[in-house]
Amino acid sequence: MPKLTINGRELDAPQGVNLIQAAEMLGIEIPHYCYHPGLSVVGNCRMCLVEVERAPKLQIACNTKVAEGMVVRTESPRVKTAQAAVLEFLLINHPIDCPVCDQAGECKLQDYYMDYDRKPSRFPLGKKNKKGKALDIGSDIMLDQERCILCARCTRFFDEVTHTSELAIFERGDHCVVDTYPGRRVDNRYACNVVDICPVGALTEKDFRFRMRVWYLHRAPSVCSACARGCAIDIDHHRGRIYRYKPRYNPNVNRWWICDEGRHSFTAVQREHRLTQPLVQAADRFAAESWEAALARAAEKIRRCSQDYGPNAVGALVGAQATNEEIFALKRFLSRTIGSTSVGGVSFSSADARPGDTFLIRADKNPNTRGLSALGLALDGLASLAFAAGQGELKVLIVLRADPARALGRAGFMRALGALEHLILLDVSASQTASFAGQVLPIAAHPELDGSFTNFEGWVQRLHRAFDPPKQARGALELIGALEKTLDGIESDYSAPAVFADMARAEAAFHGLSLEGLAHHGARLNGVAV
Amino acid sequence: MHRTSASRAARLTKAVAQFPVARYLQPGRYLKMADSCAPKFSAQTLKEYELTLARYPTRQAALLPTLWLAMREFGWISPQVEQYVAGLMGLPPSHVRAVVSFYEMFYRKPVGRWHLAVCTNLPCRLRGADQIVRAIRDRLNFEHGDTTPDRRFTLETVQCLASCGSAPMLQLNQDVYHENLTVESVIKLIDELAARAD
Amino acid sequence: MERILSRWVDIPDLRRIEVYEAHGGYQAWRKVLTEMTPAALIDEVKAANLRGRGGAAFPTGTKWGFIPRDSQKPVYVCCNADESEPGTFGNRYQLENDPHGVIEGLLICCRAVNAHVGYIYLRGEFALQKRRVDEALAQARARGYVGRNVLGANFDVEIYTHRGAGAYICGEETALLESLEGKRGYPRNRPPFPAIHGAFGCPTVVNNVETLSNLPHIIARGAQWYRGIGPAASPGPKLFCLSGHLNRPGLYELPMGFPLKNMIYDEHLGGGILNGKKLKAVIPGGSSFPVFTADEALKVNMDFDSVRAAGSLMGTGGVIVMHEDTCMVDALRTIANFYHHESCGQCTPCREGCGWIEKLLIDLEAGRGEAADLDKLIDIADNMEGNTICVLADSLAMPVRSFVRKFKEEFVEHVRRRRCPYRFERGYAGAAPRDAPPFPPTEAGAAS
Repeated sequence: MPKLTINGRELDAPQGVNLIQAAEMLGIEIPHYCYHPGLSVVGNCRMCLVEVERAPKLQIACNTKVAEGMVVRTESPRVKTAQAAVLEFLLINHPIDCPVCDQAGECKLQDYYMDYDRKPSRFPLGKKNKKGKALDIGSDIMLDQERCILCARCTRFFDEVTHTSELAIFERGDHCVVDTYPGRRVDNRYACNVVDICPVGALTEKDFRFRMRVWYLHRAPSVCSACARGCAIDIDHHRGRIYRYKPRYNPNVNRWWICDEGRHSFTAVQREHRLTQPLVQAADRFAAESWEAALARAAEKIRRCSQDYGPNAVGALVGAQATNEEIFALKRFLSRTIGSTSVGGVSFSSADARPGDTFLIRADKNPNTRGLSALGLALDGLASLAFAAGQGELKVLIVLRADPARALGRAGFMRALGALEHLILLDVSASQTASFAGQVLPIAAHPELDGSFTNFEGWVQRLHRAFDPPKQARGALELIGALEKTLDGIESDYSAPAVFADMARAEAAFHGLSLEGLAHHGARLNGVAV
Repeated sequence: MHRTSASRAARLTKAVAQFPVARYLQPGRYLKMADSCAPKFSAQTLKEYELTLARYPTRQAALLPTLWLAMREFGWISPQVEQYVAGLMGLPPSHVRAVVSFYEMFYRKPVGRWHLAVCTNLPCRLRGADQIVRAIRDRLNFEHGDTTPDRRFTLETVQCLASCGSAPMLQLNQDVYHENLTVESVIKLIDELAARAD
Repeated sequence: MERILSRWVDIPDLRRIEVYEAHGGYQAWRKVLTEMTPAALIDEVKAANLRGRGGAAFPTGTKWGFIPRDSQKPVYVCCNADESEPGTFGNRYQLENDPHGVIEGLLICCRAVNAHVGYIYLRGEFALQKRRVDEALAQARARGYVGRNVLGANFDVEIYTHRGAGAYICGEETALLESLEGKRGYPRNRPPFPAIHGAFGCPTVVNNVETLSNLPHIIARGAQWYRGIGPAASPGPKLFCLSGHLNRPGLYELPMGFPLKNMIYDEHLGGGILNGKKLKAVIPGGSSFPVFTADEALKVNMDFDSVRAAGSLMGTGGVIVMHEDTCMVDALRTIANFYHHESCGQCTPCREGCGWIEKLLIDLEAGRGEAADLDKLIDIADNMEGNTICVLADSLAMPVRSFVRKFKEEFVEHVRRRRCPYRFERGYAGAAPRDAPPFPPTEAGAAS
């Protein structure tokens, strides 16, 4: 651990880190554009120049590794002059079209200009170099070459991370442009990451363009539910509407990246697709009813069946879309309140789902398959439940975030589960199974949830509730708690942290973990080799 | 009927001219066209290319020499040539273009039979390079553009060519230096070249 | 004085190997292989105090010493023949007329650092020079100076030529390596230095043509002899490139430390100023370096340290002479145009600053400038210098600062009169080109 001094403060920095990282450990910001910890160092933006004692010239912090006895100054007059100069240079050919730029508000040019320059322009507007604007370069990306500062983050991402090299820098000097090869389009499953790493408004997402000013957005850390990787994300939302998912750094899971499918997966849970009130099926039609009535109806069915046919006549099928807490709570509800052991899991990815790859994307399109198995639920639960139903032993089935009718097909579903008396479906939107359900209870979608997922490698990560579920939809945990109260009058704490705590006590795989303890980067299940 | 198809053909030609590469690249669509104009090294050049590869520990290092072979073979580096070289060397076409567009000597459009590169850097200007350029322009009658309509001459002003002691100078066809130029000598040179049959 | 580096002036056909051999050619290479250890060789070059002729004047032996002795990776040697600095043309004549001298120097360098492959990176425009070097290489290979088991000394070495394609920046050693690797010529950040991580990620020495061509002479005649030429701190013969408003521009071999005044005025050298005009300014080392006023120029001796002490740098020894009719604004604009054109575009200050400076100078020269532009030019130059990966930004900053400061009244005059005060239209009329150049010309006239 080399000991060095930055702005008069001493620091023991880990061997091999650069000065930007070391300064960050002291809470000192060294401004930078081209440096990105996930990419090679090119040192071309010159924004991170700092003074290193005994070096005659200013040094770029990104390419300077910490060394014993190093004395660094990041706020000396020389450094400040250089920072202001670099900003001035970056801005002379920049169009300064912030009022119509989507990056405004999260633009490093804007931010650093305010922090490190704040001088009026000395360059006449009419002499700026003209380059391409609003170029549709493919995937979901628009390119503005005039806003580009040529930091080469995007080209390095496509060269070093995806190895697809769709973008490159052409021409020379101040005529340099980032562009695609003529006639080719950016076309890979991780393309939109370049929008995130672009420090300015040169690369913007078509999907987000002109939709929302970033300063109106609220941010909730969560986990992508589009596949078993469970990339850490931030949900950017405003008034109950999601505007975008952004990848969130998690060294254990996705580092800085996310796939485009995951990034755009939020559209499925936007309000317009949602179930918003409890429904009951009568004579092939669904009718809305109140939560009291719905809970009473469900409780009555459960009570009667368990009395008439024994507790195992009541069962549950849990999909791998459910959180760890939901799985645990439903399993416990069946055993503790009803005394049933008829519980199974299902992890279904449709045949037309896009295949996995060797980077982030998994073929399993469920975020919590590993959670199901870690909590002792067989992934072929559907088969055993169907067998029981066929034998007439299973009469009432609670289905949580699963769509057996889709997994089996309608005919297959009728063969397997057609004998059920009553199916209670807890889901976010109307699935194929809904048409077979006696009751459909609307529940919160992932962005509206507090809880956790376990990814395919056993990393347990936390979801934070971004906003409340729409209209009458309720959290599944709350719903299970209400059912329990209706059935046996006991009221327990069904908040996610409490359920997680119970789970950590009851389930070996989760021993010693807590929801709060998952923090930003999650924790590994017990018994998983690191 | 006849008019319709003619205007359609014109539209199509225009579209292809606008996005020649885009059309070319769409697999299947303009395959015939792609086949007919796809550049390919001669057997002799391919042999030279293989020899070039052997000189370097990496394949990519042979890119500049290969582009020079392409210049010799095709006269200029068209987008089709870029793609051919990319395919030949297993490099992304974007990388090939990034390199081609960095170096000035790779022609990115066709040039005339005689390419005149006149140095207009300081030492040459001190000795009258501007007059040389003007004399060439006047003699060849071009105000706009840099290639004569008959594609005989292309004039380019270039940076220092290491001939400052014998300035002003021009390089002909990226090879032979003509030095210690005067207005008279450069006009004589142009007239000689113009008179040549090849 | 005896011509050493430019022996070809006195020895016709020196580029033919029989002639080269007849004049002691490849004896140094034989001596290095058969009589000297690599360590002794490096010591000899250190003792000669040979300093790099490419511009930076770094001691060559020390540079070689940075190459790890026990490198697990192959070591490469590159000869930098990308000569592109405006005002510089010595390498070109050497490659044309004495290619074996360069090759022998390169071979000696390969031996010193235990490299088995050497590349000669020639700028793209050097078509003739590449042919001459390739011919010479074929001859050397046929005589067994290059190839496997050279001269029976159990040493394999192969030399290849590599042709650039028109990019000044590739003369910067790390940009040269990038270009050699088939990439855009972007200079690299240091560390790592080429001696550790050079061509293809391996230890690499990059030496200039003129530097290498000194080596056979040092080996053949000894460090002692070499140090006797010129000042002790930067000894040896030097090829000076005289250009601009001189009666006899051309390439002249002189000892280090030769007075600039004599270079300009001696009748067998520069021969005085063209048309009997008065001297106005001299750039002593190629267009990248601070300009001297006439007074400064007449006092300086041409070696690395004296020129530095006088406030400029000797660089490559490209002396550009300007007489009284030269518009210094236009001269600087021409220089700025060059660096703007040649900036690789990688670092912000250089990419944006060079263009900005040129735009300001275009306006100043056209009479559209303002008084504040002069300070702005200095300010931009200050902001560029030292803040980039390579020194291309410095190479514009230095002339800008020196031109604006030393010829300020001329810039002010442009602003005041709202036009260029010089009578001449762009270009400097009256420069009647000479009939014959000082050295045999290239194959000029023999148009293909």
